[in-house]
Amino acid sequence: MTYKLYYFNIRGLAEPIRYLLKYGKIDFEDVRVEREDWPKLKETMPMKQMPVLEIDGKRVYQSVSIARFLGKKVGLAGSNDLENLEIDSAVDTFVDLRLKVTAVMTTPEDKKAEAMKTLKEETVPFFLSKLNALAEENNGHLACKKLTWADLYFAALTGIVKFGAIEGEDIWEKYPALRKVVDNVEAIDAIKTWINERPVTDF
Amino acid sequence: MVVYKLHYFNLTGLGEPIRFLFHYGGIDFEDVRYEMNEWVDLKKKFPLGQLPVLEIDDKEHVQSMAICRYLAKQVGLAGDSDLENMEIDAVVDTFNDIRLKISTVMWEQNQEVKKEKQKILHEQQIPFYFKKLDEYAEANNGHFACKKLTWADLYIASWSKYFSYAIKEVFNDYENYPNIKKVVDNVLAIENIKKWVETRPDTFC
Repeated sequence: MTYKLYYFNIRGLAEPIRYLLKYGKIDFEDVRVEREDWPKLKETMPMKQMPVLEIDGKRVYQSVSIARFLGKKVGLAGSNDLENLEIDSAVDTFVDLRLKVTAVMTTPEDKKAEAMKTLKEETVPFFLSKLNALAEENNGHLACKKLTWADLYFAALTGIVKFGAIEGEDIWEKYPALRKVVDNVEAIDAIKTWINERPVTDF
Repeated sequence: MVVYKLHYFNLTGLGEPIRFLFHYGGIDFEDVRYEMNEWVDLKKKFPLGQLPVLEIDDKEHVQSMAICRYLAKQVGLAGDSDLENMEIDAVVDTFNDIRLKISTVMWEQNQEVKKEKQKILHEQQIPFYFKKLDEYAEANNGHFACKKLTWADLYIASWSKYFSYAIKEVFNDYENYPNIKKVVDNVLAIENIKKWVETRPDTFC
């Protein structure tokens, strides 16, 4: 199979996909679209959004669905339906947090300060403490007491977590089990290498 | 025998796709429903303080989509391959994108903001997404994915009652989207689903 990934020149929602492809040592073309080229390309994309993964010329979309598919491909899915349910639940919970964070990021300026306050003081702590509890129960993983695509998905999107940090705070101090999840992923050779050689971008 | 207990509000919403799947598969389950006022106290007892929660042999599971995907596999409505499952996931995720926009507007408290968002929702977002979904239904011979009945069909069909309330101004039971309408009507005609819809508790959405 040939893989071609389309996204902006940032980590963002494509990064979990890149992590999984790198983990599985799967060759892929990592297309990064410049902002000025996007309007024209947009019209050719299935849902006018990215990331889009082209598999043997067929374009698929929805970052979590793609991650689930690749998770299976690279041996990071569950061993049975109940394990897959556990993985999906953990990822969906993190996505709930991600969506709340991005909603605040895109709140109009006049309402933003208040939205940020609620985010940092209530929403983020609520979700991260739940996810931290999961990581504790699962020995430094988000599900099934073993490395799954849920761990890679989370580790690739730590920017979301950090966005919710209060000024000057090291958010990981409060959630050491989640820190362990990220450390475990970043210690994997293929991921370590990727982190060192990937383009450096703000997001 | 696996013992299932579903906890959700006394609404269709996020619980209904799960109920549709149970009924389709002829699987017994306890359908626990909460009114908003009793939920406030119970919230703390559940893992994420959110519903739905599905107990499988007394173990609690969260996240409606994860639950649906699991149940679909149990009742034979998943894909036959990873690529088919990704196709199903993508359609359902796309539907959820517009469903979330619809829900957000429906629950918006500030009337001025609501009116503004409703305009964009009704005039741009719904037409864009429904047209795409209609195209998928056409390309898949009366289904949303894989040219056959999958949980994507049941999932999307289960939201019709909610949409009849949430977007009553423009919904019309998908009259303007004949291919979507065909998929939904086909699902609602399935014996077990038809019986369920006729006998389920009457709720405002």
